[in-house]
Amino acid sequence: MLITRVKKKDAILSLCKGKTLLIACFGCKEVHFEEKEYQALKEDLKTSNLNISGEIQLDYLCNDDYTNKRFELHKKEIDEAETIIIFSCGVGVQTFAGLIPGKTVLSGCDTYVLPGFSGFTPSSHDCEQCGECMLGFTVGICPVTACSKGLLNGQCGGAKKGKCEVSKNKDCGWERIYNRMTVLKKDDLTLKKMIRVRNYNK
Amino acid sequence: MQKIDYTKYKLKTKIEILEMLTGHKRVYILSCNKCFNEFTLDVEPETAELNKTLNEAGKTTIGFMALDFLCNKYLTEKALNNAKKDIEEADAVAVISCGVGVQTIAELLNIPVITMCDTVNQGGYHGISLNPEKCGACGECYLSVTGGICPVVDCSKGLINGACGGAKNGKCEVSKEKECAWENIFRRLAGQNRQNILIEQQPKLRNYNLNSVDFVETYVKSVQAKRNEGFYGGIYPEERKEFTSKMAVEKIAAPDLVYIPLQQHAGAVCEPLVKKGDKVKAGQKIGDSKALVSAFIHSSVSGEVISVESKKHPLLPFPVPTIIIKNDKKDEKDTSILPKGTIDTIKKEDILTVVKEAGIVGMGGAQFPTHIKLNSSKPVDTVLLNGCECEPLLNADQRLMVEQPEKIITGLRLLMKATGTTKGIIAVEDNKPEAFETLKKYIPEGSGVELLQVKTKYPEGAERMLIKRVLNREVPRGGLPLDVGVLVNNIGTAAAVYDAVYSGLPLIKRVITVAGTGVSKPGNYEIPIGMLISDIVKICGIQIPVNFELKMGGAIMGFPQDDLEVPVIKGTNGIIVVMKKDDLNEEPCIKCGRCVNVCPMELKPHKLVHYAKAENWDKSEKDGVLNCIECGCCEDICSSKSRMVEIFRKSKKMVRERKK
Repeated sequence: MLITRVKKKDAILSLCKGKTLLIACFGCKEVHFEEKEYQALKEDLKTSNLNISGEIQLDYLCNDDYTNKRFELHKKEIDEAETIIIFSCGVGVQTFAGLIPGKTVLSGCDTYVLPGFSGFTPSSHDCEQCGECMLGFTVGICPVTACSKGLLNGQCGGAKKGKCEVSKNKDCGWERIYNRMTVLKKDDLTLKKMIRVRNYNK
Repeated sequence: MQKIDYTKYKLKTKIEILEMLTGHKRVYILSCNKCFNEFTLDVEPETAELNKTLNEAGKTTIGFMALDFLCNKYLTEKALNNAKKDIEEADAVAVISCGVGVQTIAELLNIPVITMCDTVNQGGYHGISLNPEKCGACGECYLSVTGGICPVVDCSKGLINGACGGAKNGKCEVSKEKECAWENIFRRLAGQNRQNILIEQQPKLRNYNLNSVDFVETYVKSVQAKRNEGFYGGIYPEERKEFTSKMAVEKIAAPDLVYIPLQQHAGAVCEPLVKKGDKVKAGQKIGDSKALVSAFIHSSVSGEVISVESKKHPLLPFPVPTIIIKNDKKDEKDTSILPKGTIDTIKKEDILTVVKEAGIVGMGGAQFPTHIKLNSSKPVDTVLLNGCECEPLLNADQRLMVEQPEKIITGLRLLMKATGTTKGIIAVEDNKPEAFETLKKYIPEGSGVELLQVKTKYPEGAERMLIKRVLNREVPRGGLPLDVGVLVNNIGTAAAVYDAVYSGLPLIKRVITVAGTGVSKPGNYEIPIGMLISDIVKICGIQIPVNFELKMGGAIMGFPQDDLEVPVIKGTNGIIVVMKKDDLNEEPCIKCGRCVNVCPMELKPHKLVHYAKAENWDKSEKDGVLNCIECGCCEDICSSKSRMVEIFRKSKKMVRERKK
């Protein structure tokens, strides 16, 4: 799942030329679009003498059928602008830029990823899509994501009191695996079976 | 446009599956109905395939269940609990899902959970669509300097400092099918005459710490807390209450003609008690019914009946008998309007009669006759007063709470007395601090009335959600708040009950918020029932701009009005002008899962749409379309622009008709 954070003013300003059109995608704004920060940046850009020729708010910019239709609706504003800044995730920016390759399209946001693929509530579980799922061996806790180092062959020894050395907020993935195995009264034979070199070609 | 199937999983090989299941004989299969591909089938083929593999290897499948979005922990946990007995008999649960689904299940069950799938790497993250563009979510977007082509995802090596030199004839050395991203970037920038930017604005070293453990943890927790706050689902629409939130209620004088429909309530239509030429007084009963569920109708002005005829109704799709009265502007009150007592003097049974005679209905929009709720045989332990008003733009209830707190509190106490309850709660959303503070000052000690501030979230004003939030009780599907011992009433209703008891005035006027784009005199107005919207449009100077529409009710659940010659009725809480929905075509559902995330009734809206399209009313009913409260959350966030509320209204009608 993707979330966005609005870029700093300086990162955008130096790239803008001439009349500039702002396009903000509010499709996922529900939880993950920094609406207030966007409004603040807009005001900031205005006072920094950026020639803002207009603003369009829309949703689901990543859907190219809809985005295409919206070109027609906002043709005049888009044609007039020399620079277009898109406030959306990277997919939205690419979709838009790909549909009008002749125009300077800038991204106004940085995109981050949260665990979970569907819907909009991030999951507490992450999946790295490694293509060789080991969850059947590891009592349903993923060593690739739950262990900061993605180790497949047991804990590194760096954890203190169950917490990973990377952050005090993160539990050691391998201790979690061990603890659940104790609950399920499983022996570690399956773990021994599991260990093989990861195939990054999958 | 090319549509990509973004299904995240594929079955492991037979050998791997059997290796994983070594030592487990009795297996329960749980499978996820996939996300991000076009919705075509109800049952995915993997379950049958796995079942065959297991049977051939001499294992027993003791049951299976397919769920939508296995990763949705809240709904999955509920489904698992319902099937707990069966599942617990298995040696192991075999899960067909991506890694997130498997981990969710493993956390919820205390038996071995074994994955049957490998999760497919998509190379980057897709958006809420099935388009080929993908984002690397690197946290430092380079697209501005790369012509909108992503080097992190599109370059096989994810290089951010230019081509590696390995490409031949524009194709990447990794595969002849893959174009060199950096050549594409150069070409696009050259086309815009911006190629120098690659020298001037070189991408910097990548900072892999941006998506750090702590950043993700904090964000995930905050989003989860917000999403599941108080009750499942819901959305956070733009409130836009500031237009009228500080505007005191203003009286609007009754117009020359009022149009009073004989149906302004859930239940049977009333019979007219007057005919053309009759003189009527303000507050005089002009419509009644012997039916079990109905509410009396009163004149809001004094004057002469000039016609009783069928007229267009603001909410109902068919014409309704309507009494048209010419206002003589004398405002003569009917002789029946006399004080009926006070909270201390009036008897319990008399409150019910007064409420019934005054024609009071739920004034939040549903218009259910209040006396019927009060007269229920089911035991009530709490009367809940709904001061949420969660719809954007509306402030009518908020103003009542600020301006007439005593009326509302006494109205609540009358309702408590009528039902013999000692506990009353007024729940106010935290976006109305003024109302909360005012009420706080006026609650008499020992009255049993509690004031509660709740976090703002739409649709909190829906009674089920409010009960869940305030009392943590779950109204059963198909049931009523009374089934869990709660009586929910609107703020306006409490004020109307007070008026009916203390002055004897029936429900002939109400407070309405008039606001929105193109409204030159927005505000909160006390308006006589039966006043035409067109009269209000003149008084408030409303001009509806192009692409906007006038709605009766709130911005989300309100009913659009094409014809303004319809009257204000008892349940009208707002007249607002809002932007029309985008004029974009509905596209096929891509199972993004957002509607399932936000449906406060915990339905599967995407499936219900699918069934409605296939006219499969059996499955529509089975999947609970009758429980839909038409709050519009699903439609608000639908990435395929499905007109869900309209579709579900039709589904409900079809399901009900079939039952007859």
